[in-house]
Amino acid sequence: MDNVHESMASGITGTTSKPVSAASGQKKATRGWLTKLSQIVPPLMAFIVLIGGWELIVTWIGTPTYVLPKPSDIYLAASDNFSSLMASAWKTVWESIYGFAISVVLGVSGAIFLGLSKTIEKSIYPYAVILQTIPIVAIAPIIVIWFGAGMNSIVIIAFLIGFFPMLSNTLIGLNSTEQNMKNLFTLYNASRLQTMWRLRIPAALPFIAAGMKISCTLAVIGAIVGEYVAGIGGGEGGLGYAITVAATRLQTPYLFACGLSASLLGVAFFLLINAFSKWLLSSWHESEMKVDN
Amino acid sequence: MSESDNNISIMADWVQLNHVNKVYSNGTVALQDVSLHIKENEFISFVGPSGCGKSTVFKLIAGLTEATDGDIRIMGMSPAHARKQSEMAFVFQDHTLLPWCSVEDNVMLPLSLRGMPKKQRLEEAARVLELVGLKDYKKALPRMLSGGMKMRVSIARALASRPKLLLMDEPFGALDEITRQTLQQELLDIWQREKGMTVLFVTHNVFEAVFLSTRVMVMTPRPGKIAEEISIPFAFPRDDSYHATPEFSEYVREVSAALKH
Ligand SMILES: Nc1ncnc2c1ncn2[C@@H]1O[C@H](COP(=O)(O)OP(=O)(O)OP(=O)(O)O)[C@@H](O)[C@H]1O
Ligand SMILES: [Mg+2]
Repeated sequence: MDNVHESMASGITGTTSKPVSAASGQKKATRGWLTKLSQIVPPLMAFIVLIGGWELIVTWIGTPTYVLPKPSDIYLAASDNFSSLMASAWKTVWESIYGFAISVVLGVSGAIFLGLSKTIEKSIYPYAVILQTIPIVAIAPIIVIWFGAGMNSIVIIAFLIGFFPMLSNTLIGLNSTEQNMKNLFTLYNASRLQTMWRLRIPAALPFIAAGMKISCTLAVIGAIVGEYVAGIGGGEGGLGYAITVAATRLQTPYLFACGLSASLLGVAFFLLINAFSKWLLSSWHESEMKVDN
Repeated sequence: MSESDNNISIMADWVQLNHVNKVYSNGTVALQDVSLHIKENEFISFVGPSGCGKSTVFKLIAGLTEATDGDIRIMGMSPAHARKQSEMAFVFQDHTLLPWCSVEDNVMLPLSLRGMPKKQRLEEAARVLELVGLKDYKKALPRMLSGGMKMRVSIARALASRPKLLLMDEPFGALDEITRQTLQQELLDIWQREKGMTVLFVTHNVFEAVFLSTRVMVMTPRPGKIAEEISIPFAFPRDDSYHATPEFSEYVREVSAALKH
């Protein structure tokens, strides 16, 4: 976080004053690299120690592969079945993206609708909260009954799990505008829609971005859960489906490979959305920091 | 000054409050029997201890809240109507700038809200930013500006709508003494240049009130009322040398004495 602040600060002064000399700029860049390196090296060391330890201990004890595979077993399982692993991952990627996109669109527009009137908000929002408390695995079978096994149901489950964080975050953001600002808009005869569009939605952007960061990882989880209950085979299944199949066949190394792929996917998705939100809030990072810290 | 006072005899009062009472819903008597007669081109300051109803007077004039009793006329119209006609503009202690909009966009806000075409809006923005001496900063974001500059932008935004009535509620309250004095001088210059603009100004600072105003309204609390009206007939343009005159000290003494009642 420290070097992020630093680079932002230098970015700002850079626009108003003359840029620093090339030499000191270079020095700064080197220092930046060093701090980056010092952030990467310790977790990398921990990773190597963990993987090495795991490999050695499991080999030494002689645990059967179907109970606990060694890292090398997992790697072999992944590379041997690389094309089917990629196909499953790709499937899950799309399910997550669709589910996430729908939860963003409906969450934000739903919150804007609720935010337009206090009466509407008060009468509908409680139901959204109640809906949120129902565990997703409890509704999942009903969704399969309604929409059939396959893509549709999985996307709906991924959407449902990410929807509420989007809705509530956006609504909090829309209601976060200061009284003074609202007064100002009233005094200049702004209509309700003008206030929404010119004041409340821009003010809610950092909250929307924070909601997206939560929802994107939830959407991957939703897609995997959806595939557990609604996945279909025939080369069409995603990672969640592949995991259930691998489990019934005791292909534990491949199961691990699928699980790891799923978590990598979640991380990648998060980093992507994180970068997007940085870009979205670039013109007003003050508040992004408020949400971040 | 006195000329423009005379040539509007029909609509003599720009702002008129007749025996206005304001009781808030929780029972607080904020104002009791307040009458005001303010003419075109006046610069009126309201001074008084916290809670004496200065902001309430402003809210009534802006039509943000209704009087319990009495009558309020702004250029012959009801407050809400006058506001709809965009005759009023506002500056608060807090600069209330939109952090995600450039200085220029902030200044144009009241104009774009009422649907003025872009070209005209840009011209107005250029005009008022020149007035407050910030024309080189039109693309800057508020967070890059100092407190005094933000307040200048806030004033520019109010001037952009060419108001006949400018309401300023403790605009310089959060600024340091030197910035405050610079802005006082600039405000006076602008007020003299923008002919026909009436300024209502709330402050806790007696020196500020005496320096700026043509008249000072001294208010007392519980219930809020106007205890005394003090004319400050010292000639305009006023500058720093006014601070050193015996008249200035005399006015300050007079206002302070009225406050102590
Ligand atoms: N919305 C409200 N509801 C109830 N009472 C209020 C409300 N607004 C103001 N008051 C009360 O009315 C009185 C006058 O308030 P007002 O804000 O006009 O004072 P003020 O002179 O502007 O004070 P300050 O110098 O602190 O800004 C105070 O006693 C205050 O508590
Ligand atoms: Mg006040």
